[in-house]
Amino acid sequence: MSLNFLSPLYLFGLLGMTIPIMVHLLTRRQQKHLRFSAVHLLLQSQKRSIKRSTPNRRFLLFIRCLGIALLSLALANPIFSFSGPSDFLPNSPSANVFILDDSYSMGTLADQKSYYTHAVDALLDMSQSLSSESVYSVVSASGPARVLLDWSTDSSKAEKLLKLSQPSSRTTDIGQAIAETFRLLDSASQKKKRVYILTDRDKNGWNEESFSLTGETRYPINIIDFSGMRQGGNRAAVEHTEVRQEFLSNSRVIRVKTKILNLSQTKPIRKLKVSLWINGKKQNEGTLDIPTKSSAEKEFSFPLKENVALNGEVRIEDDSLLKDNVRFFNYQPNRTIKTLVVDGDPKTIEHQSETFYLERALNPFSVSLSNIEPTVSTLAELSTRDLFDYSVIMLCNVRDLPFGYEQELEKFVMRGGALFITLGDQVDAKFYNERMGNILSVRLQAIHQIAKDGEPFRLLIKPSKHPVLKVLKGRTLEEMKSIRFHSLYSVEPRENLKLTVPMSFENKFPALIESTAGKGKVILFVSSIDRDWNNFSIQPTFLPWIQRWVKYSARGLDSLMLKELLVGEPFSREEPSESSQTYIVLPGGKTTRPSFENGQVTFESTNRPGIYQLYRGSSKADTNATLLQLPPGTEPAGSFSVNIDTTESSSIKITNEEIENFLPGMDITYFDGYQKRDLNGSEGGSPMSTAFMLLMGSMLLFEGWLVRKE
Amino acid sequence: MSDKTTFDSDPEVLSRIASLNICATNLVEGLLSGHHRSRHKGSSVEFAEYKDYSPGDEIKHIDWKVVGKTDKYHVKQFEQSTNLKATILLDTSGSMGYESPDPRGMKKMDYARTLVAALSYLFLKQYDAVGLSLFNENVINHIPPRSKPAHFQHILHGLATMTPTGVTRLEDVIGNLVERLPSRGILILVSDFLTKETEVEQKLKLLVSRGLEVILFHILDPDEVSFPFEGDIVFESLEDDPQVGLDPEDIRETYKREIQNQIQYYRSCCAGLGIDYVFLETSTPLEQGLSYYLLRRKSLGKSRT
Repeated sequence: MSLNFLSPLYLFGLLGMTIPIMVHLLTRRQQKHLRFSAVHLLLQSQKRSIKRSTPNRRFLLFIRCLGIALLSLALANPIFSFSGPSDFLPNSPSANVFILDDSYSMGTLADQKSYYTHAVDALLDMSQSLSSESVYSVVSASGPARVLLDWSTDSSKAEKLLKLSQPSSRTTDIGQAIAETFRLLDSASQKKKRVYILTDRDKNGWNEESFSLTGETRYPINIIDFSGMRQGGNRAAVEHTEVRQEFLSNSRVIRVKTKILNLSQTKPIRKLKVSLWINGKKQNEGTLDIPTKSSAEKEFSFPLKENVALNGEVRIEDDSLLKDNVRFFNYQPNRTIKTLVVDGDPKTIEHQSETFYLERALNPFSVSLSNIEPTVSTLAELSTRDLFDYSVIMLCNVRDLPFGYEQELEKFVMRGGALFITLGDQVDAKFYNERMGNILSVRLQAIHQIAKDGEPFRLLIKPSKHPVLKVLKGRTLEEMKSIRFHSLYSVEPRENLKLTVPMSFENKFPALIESTAGKGKVILFVSSIDRDWNNFSIQPTFLPWIQRWVKYSARGLDSLMLKELLVGEPFSREEPSESSQTYIVLPGGKTTRPSFENGQVTFESTNRPGIYQLYRGSSKADTNATLLQLPPGTEPAGSFSVNIDTTESSSIKITNEEIENFLPGMDITYFDGYQKRDLNGSEGGSPMSTAFMLLMGSMLLFEGWLVRKE
Repeated sequence: MSDKTTFDSDPEVLSRIASLNICATNLVEGLLSGHHRSRHKGSSVEFAEYKDYSPGDEIKHIDWKVVGKTDKYHVKQFEQSTNLKATILLDTSGSMGYESPDPRGMKKMDYARTLVAALSYLFLKQYDAVGLSLFNENVINHIPPRSKPAHFQHILHGLATMTPTGVTRLEDVIGNLVERLPSRGILILVSDFLTKETEVEQKLKLLVSRGLEVILFHILDPDEVSFPFEGDIVFESLEDDPQVGLDPEDIRETYKREIQNQIQYYRSCCAGLGIDYVFLETSTPLEQGLSYYLLRRKSLGKSRT
């Protein structure tokens, strides 16, 4: 049987009992003795007096002292237990490893403090309570897990290390942390070994792949779960943002689409405030309803006034975890749509080349008019090109692609690039059908040719609501009827991909097939783009038709280069010349110099979410990695955004059974939050604060009643 | 009950006697006085009336001249003016020794002493016999009535040497004393009547029925009437009551009501028995109390005669 106090400092409040005693002593009237004649009358009067029940002042004093003592005891969080002390923190020499979950979900607020702060306080408290011969070590559990503090007996080391620390912006990797822990414990000489995991038990952190139990050794594991302290809860997280530029309309509209997750397992979210901030200013605001266990998308659009880089963020209203309420993005609006035209049938006579008409149609006079900047490349040159420099890739009568290049192309499309394929006599249908199955929604079947002097294939002309075709009306449309197609490929759809047929021939053969793969678009024109199979390219409708298709499929993909980075993922970019030096201004304002190797600038310390600004200057600058400010003469060279991995925001907790499956054969004890009682044992004790408070309340009431009666 | 002829030579006692003497004589001389007639007939030179002889009358008082003339036996009766026997009963119980922490007059015992001395002097001055009985639970000193002027010294000595102690047992004392008192005369009872006894009225009735003229002097200290104390006080009894600690504020009103009830009880009880009742607080100047009483007596005496 024991009575322990979780906050023993409050026991100093017992000194408060001296206050009523002092008051009593100071205000006590000196008791006089007087020899009096009519004492029997006094006794008689006292019996008859209504006030004969005057309370004993000492009794009142006792009650007041008791009241103060009870208050002090109640504040000290007493825990009463019948059981004896437990083996939670062994008194004998032991080796203890504290696995501190410092993932960003530990930043969830509870009782004005984050779980992380609670966990650090608990860790420091436990390290201080260890016996002097015991050693301890601290392992960080956010990926990549690492040993923060090697074996030590000095509790102040952990205090120095952790007192002012903050949770990282990374996700949990308990498995790796346990692997590190076991490695540490294997090396410890003490007989008793303990593992303490201070975590919020986010399920995503228990990654079985990163950990496998080896050896026979089994260590007792204490899991202290802080997520029980959650108050308001982490309601929502911004999971994703996507920026698109509309080229088809001339208004140059920027669309920002954001996806917000409802993290609650039970409650839908009504009217969640979502706001869009561009370059530090609120651009737009709206509300969003999100059903339970689901997500919803919100799209903001605004006209682009000038072609400046957009550094933006999408924010939602605050909940108990702030880090996942914002998502950063950056976007460099395109002035032109860079288009790579791959000529599969180049000729020495220019106008006989496959892409002769196409190139001129895309850019008839200058870039400023069409906003399309075509680059013609032969198949041989293709390997020297970086697809991500372009928004649209046009494969014109290309036989096949260099080995493995189709995967590059697939990656390009999946990330939002547009692929426009035109066919012709050079095309190897087998290659297209077998190697490009992931992005091409149809199989090429056979070439259909008309007989000599036969009736050519003609396009089926009808008004269309397709964004590209809806402007083609009246005479223009009539003119398209006159286009003569001699040859074309027949196609059959693949089962797994969705497609639309915006244009077809009068004989019901599809003429143009549009499909979506990943974030990008794939458009297949079943005939040639030059004059070999048709006379479309010399028709007046060809120019607006092809330009509109390119603008429609392109989404301003310069920024695809700067893929969305997650915290901890390295940033790398090709540096054009060694003579210039790249600088990075971190979200906190610190300036640093990334490493440069083999023509690549690499920056690995993307530890904070936010916008990282790139600058370029002369290479004569000093070589310190960290700088106080940018050297003079540097110029902006773009930016990239780093965001957190929202898998950590998930409110799904790992269950005890899952933990036991994860750590089979281990002696695992679970604690719901850290309390001092766990240190002193009696973990099954019952808290007495409320009882003491009630007792104190009744004491005060009784005292008040006595005084009133007096 | 000693009848000492020699006094203690204790200087303190002597000085107390002297001061009592001076106080009493001053008081009486200042007030006085007229005179004070007895309503009892006695032997005197002053003829009052004739009365038929009845057996038991003294033969020497038969007026033989009248017998010679009328052949009837008549007895001469004279105005008895000097044979008044006054007995003063003074309560010397512990309660009479109360001394106020904030004196507003004489101490209660001194006040009673002076009163007794003054009354004694007054009686002796009129050649009446005066005796003194001091009592608490018993009679502790009895000085029989004498009319000699020197007797005053005995009385003063008795007063000066007594100390207030013991418990008041008025009923017992009256019961014991009533047989020894002269059947006629005045009995003056000086006390604070702070007793738990309830049969005092019966005893007073007994005295009255014995033909005694009874006068009660009820003397209380102003403290005992108004109970002016403040603060936590432990009251220790001057008699045999247990001590009691209390805040006087709590019971002041009840106490005052109790004491007034007691005063009223004696006042009404005396009125019913034809007893003179004089209530005196020690803050009242003694001469004022005494003169008031004497004036009352005078008017009463006149009405009786």
